[in-house]
Amino acid sequence: MDTDGKADAGLLERSRRIKTAAELGLARSSRGRHWSRALLLRRRLLISKEETTTTTRAAVEVEKLGVEDEPEEKMLQARVRTLQRLVPGGEEIMEAERLFEETADYIEALQEQVSAMRALACLLHGFQRTRGGS
Amino acid sequence: MENEAFWGSNWLSAIAKPPPAMSFASDDHLPPCALNLNWKQLLRHDVDLESELSSLVSSPSCHPAASADGGVVGGVIGRLGTICNSGEISVGSRLHSASSSCYSTPLNSPPKRNLSVPDYLVQGRRGFPGSVNPSPGGHFMPLPTDPWLAEDAARLSRGGGMSSSGFPGKLGLPETPGKLSRASSSKSLTGSRMVVPENGNEPWVLGAALMEMEMRSRVGGSLTPEQSEPGNGREESSIEEASSLRGTSDSNARKRKASAGKGKGKEGPLPYSATHPPNMTNENSVAKRCKTSETNAMMKTEQDGDIGRKPRKDDNKLLEPPKDYIHVRARRGQATDAHSLAERVRREKIGKRMKFLQDLVPGCNKVTGKAVMLDEIINYVQSLQRQVEFLSMKLSTLSPQLHNMENLFPKEMYQGQGTMPQPVYPAEMASAAYPYSHQPQASPPLQSIVTSGLESQLAPLYGLSDAPSQVGDFWEDDLQSVAQIGFRQH
Repeated sequence: MDTDGKADAGLLERSRRIKTAAELGLARSSRGRHWSRALLLRRRLLISKEETTTTTRAAVEVEKLGVEDEPEEKMLQARVRTLQRLVPGGEEIMEAERLFEETADYIEALQEQVSAMRALACLLHGFQRTRGGS
Repeated sequence: MENEAFWGSNWLSAIAKPPPAMSFASDDHLPPCALNLNWKQLLRHDVDLESELSSLVSSPSCHPAASADGGVVGGVIGRLGTICNSGEISVGSRLHSASSSCYSTPLNSPPKRNLSVPDYLVQGRRGFPGSVNPSPGGHFMPLPTDPWLAEDAARLSRGGGMSSSGFPGKLGLPETPGKLSRASSSKSLTGSRMVVPENGNEPWVLGAALMEMEMRSRVGGSLTPEQSEPGNGREESSIEEASSLRGTSDSNARKRKASAGKGKGKEGPLPYSATHPPNMTNENSVAKRCKTSETNAMMKTEQDGDIGRKPRKDDNKLLEPPKDYIHVRARRGQATDAHSLAERVRREKIGKRMKFLQDLVPGCNKVTGKAVMLDEIINYVQSLQRQVEFLSMKLSTLSPQLHNMENLFPKEMYQGQGTMPQPVYPAEMASAAYPYSHQPQASPPLQSIVTSGLESQLAPLYGLSDAPSQVGDFWEDDLQSVAQIGFRQH
């Protein structure tokens, strides 16, 4: 079957990415939030965008910041920058309060998406089990 | 399509967890929405009353904010207050529940002047443009017949659904503006979720105004500035015109007016400068307010909440106006210049948002300190993103049968505007379909099979537990079942 042939890593990667992007786009477009708009833009520009490495460490950010006021402030700033990277469109948000707002909304959208996808996966899995078993 | 509907309904029933209240993504916006409704309803009555007045009285500060009608009303009412003199101001302030309370406190206005307000209002309601003189500070005709007053008050009370059940009864008395103000104030109080019982005239007015003020400050914290401000702004601007200010309260009212007048929705900058009253007898707080209004265009509810708590001890004696979102009272022992106040406001805002995030991120309650919390938040967002990634990969392996989805939901991928009750689900359908659009293979119509399969499989689902291990198990199974299903389909 073609499906068998397609079920390889490359296709999976791509389909997964596209799926991710599409789902995120939908999740966000329902709200018109800044991060959602940024996500949509990102998706449109790059259909199969590479998953950005979201493992930016705060330490890296601290280094980038260089020597600033107190180390405490630096740490905070580093974390804020990391968060900015995580949240789509966060880099354009300058104020911390706006960033937190978007972060909260983004987290909620992600939670919804994860739960929906999980349910879908369970459903499909169960479906396949049944089909496979019978 | 039916399949689409099927999916939608299935998801709705299947997904154990209801979509989170995204609405409170920003609790600033949502919870106040309910209040906003109350507020608007409250103001709407005023609008009826004041609509004609508004035409008569130009309210310059009327800004087309969200609560435009409220704003207009507020502005009109404010004008009424000004037009009717200081006496009216007290009444007008009552009319508009928002910050007006402060004005009303020193209700020393002679009754006769108060009378003119109701008259004005009544006339406005009745559409007597000719009789109304929009010139501020002008005295108006003497109080009209009591029936009008009673009618007005009754109307206001009815409209406001106020607790003032006994109000209409009182209207019969040849009272004065006290009644009307009572009605309006009670209405406003109701709007602000407060009910002030009506007692006498002047003394009650004073008391009500005080209480209103206090409640306002308290409520202001919970209410979004959106609702309160437009009204406040309007009345403040109007009150501002009223030159006769009696003491600090008046000046405060004026200041608030000025600031509120220019408020645009939630974050309108408030032009204190315009109405900076000379009698800054109030301590630094007043000065702060003026400055902060200018500097802090975005004072939000947290300020209100914070300040609402604070002024009680400071304000009671002064009958300070309740804190609007633009008023930031300097705390004891804190710097009181505009910059530090603005900074404090900003920090409070940020703190509020952090608290909200804390609620959102599980396990953040025990964490203290901004840095650690930020770390937690970052980790959580990363983990969510990874989960989405993983799940999408898993779904991509699970869903050769979703080929047909591509034909069904192509548009959802691109629009998805908030009309969908479960936007994520169609998104998944669409996203699942989307990759296949790039595949040259033909999509067998697996629809029927899929739907039937889903129907049979709906029940056991939702142990939606965080179980990556489960998903891992699915992974291998899916790969096998994909082949099997593929065979079945064709």
